[in-house]
Amino acid sequence: MNNTKKTTSSKDKTLRVLLYLAVLVLVLITLYPYFAMFTTALKARSEIYAKNGTVLPIIWHWENFVDIWKLAPLSRYFANSLLISGGATAIAILCGIPAAYALSRMKFKGKKFFLGLVIVSQMFSPVVLLVGIYKIMSMLHLTDTLMALIFINAAFNQAFAIWLLRGTFMSISSEMEQAATIDGCNRVQAMLRVLLPVAAPGIVTALIFVFINAWNEYTVALTLISTDVLKPLTVGITTFNGYNMIEWQYLFSSSLFATLPVVILFICIEKHLVGGLTSGGVKG
Amino acid sequence: MKNRSLSKKIGPYLWLLPSILLMTIFILFPIFEVFRTSVSKISKAGVVKGFAGMDNFTKVISSTTFAMVLKNTLIWTIAVVGISTVLGFILALLLNNEFFGRKAARAVVVFPWATSLIIQASVWKFIINQDFGTLNTLLMRIGLISSPINWTPSPEAYFAWECWVGIFVTVPFVTFCVLAGLQGIDESYYESATVDGAGFWQKLFSITLPLVRPSLTVSTVLNIIYVFNSFPIIWTITKGDPANRTDTLVTYLYKQAFYKGRTGEAAAISVIGFLILCICASVYMVLSLRKEEADE
Repeated sequence: MNNTKKTTSSKDKTLRVLLYLAVLVLVLITLYPYFAMFTTALKARSEIYAKNGTVLPIIWHWENFVDIWKLAPLSRYFANSLLISGGATAIAILCGIPAAYALSRMKFKGKKFFLGLVIVSQMFSPVVLLVGIYKIMSMLHLTDTLMALIFINAAFNQAFAIWLLRGTFMSISSEMEQAATIDGCNRVQAMLRVLLPVAAPGIVTALIFVFINAWNEYTVALTLISTDVLKPLTVGITTFNGYNMIEWQYLFSSSLFATLPVVILFICIEKHLVGGLTSGGVKG
Repeated sequence: MKNRSLSKKIGPYLWLLPSILLMTIFILFPIFEVFRTSVSKISKAGVVKGFAGMDNFTKVISSTTFAMVLKNTLIWTIAVVGISTVLGFILALLLNNEFFGRKAARAVVVFPWATSLIIQASVWKFIINQDFGTLNTLLMRIGLISSPINWTPSPEAYFAWECWVGIFVTVPFVTFCVLAGLQGIDESYYESATVDGAGFWQKLFSITLPLVRPSLTVSTVLNIIYVFNSFPIIWTITKGDPANRTDTLVTYLYKQAFYKGRTGEAAAISVIGFLILCICASVYMVLSLRKEEADE
């Protein structure tokens, strides 16, 4: 009896060590590109292209992180990305909240049809529809404007926003709102005063998720924007990706600036995000 | 009274209206336009010059490049989604254990998901460069190799690296979907299975897998769509070159539309891609739903 206990515990220990090793290896592989980005961002160009390169910079050129702001209109790119992502998020959530509310609290004809449409709209990525997107934007005189990117990002994130918000609303009992309606509130007031404060964590998750998607969008911006000062970060930083020689150190130092805010936001919502995505889908 | 019932009837649709408007103008209309363009004669300047029937489609399908591009797209989608699903599932099982530093590990796993694809692709393009890439530098400094390795001797090698980057950025999504599923499993299932003498593999196949299947279905369907339509990775690393050998449908149609001015053919490729995607996704949905029903 005693003996078997001992073997299982030593077996547990080896399993434990293996677990740590596996996790460690995976974490190192995941971090490697970021390590490469960081160390390269701190090198001088001559050092990057030198034969017999080193892993770490020989001289740490911290000034690269300052220089990029002068070499390209990086602050404009940053502002554009903020405007596009902020605008797209606001529109996607303002349209998404009433839709998700109706889908979670009301009975009406065509509800299943609308939900189906939301899912089908997910099957079209903007890339496949670029020909059509370009057309509508020329009709609306919006090519080469930030407005175009705001609307496209809002529209293509609408499905996800509705999905997340509907999942959140369905997980909250409607009793409180009904009580509020008896007290003389109408539906809009009941939603604003009773449901939305309780649903705040879910709404924040949806907000951040749409923001990140819009922040990282590349293809539509590449196609619709031709004026340099209107480019968002994802397109703008490729300025350092010249035809003859790529300025890797600048490309990566600006990439780090572009990545950092998003990674922080993502870590904040990580816990809520996937629960919302899958539960909304399964209950459908 | 009559008024009230009317508002009750229209009410829900008013709540949906902003969302419907947004999606109609910026998604449904472009879809309609793409379908219309695919059956139209288009001048070089992009003006519609009448009905073309299936001309654009026959032009696309008869080109030998298209067959290769289609094959690439299938390899790309199956390899990236398949391998990511397996790896993501294993990673989720690892991270579902209690251990020191688990929170930090979970945070790190999020990184590739949160980073813009264009940035990820640029870094990997740099890492694998033969002359100054950091992978060769690292391996040489450690002493594993003595001279730089050419990581991309052929278009196929480039394509394999592109698949690797695709896998790298797709794994986190699978991991978090599976983790969400795993958290919903009642611990008592495993306890009673242990009492019954079930081993690790038995528990994996008869408890874990069936119970996380809904999460896996969601993540697989979404990933098929995303990966099939993914543009930035291939565009950044090879632009589909040399000679279209690393093109997938989306990079190919982008070149047709915006470099060669063949809008009609590009639209036809979009429609073909959409049909393939529809078939794949519905087959997968039907199969997994049937399996779920069979299990009940």
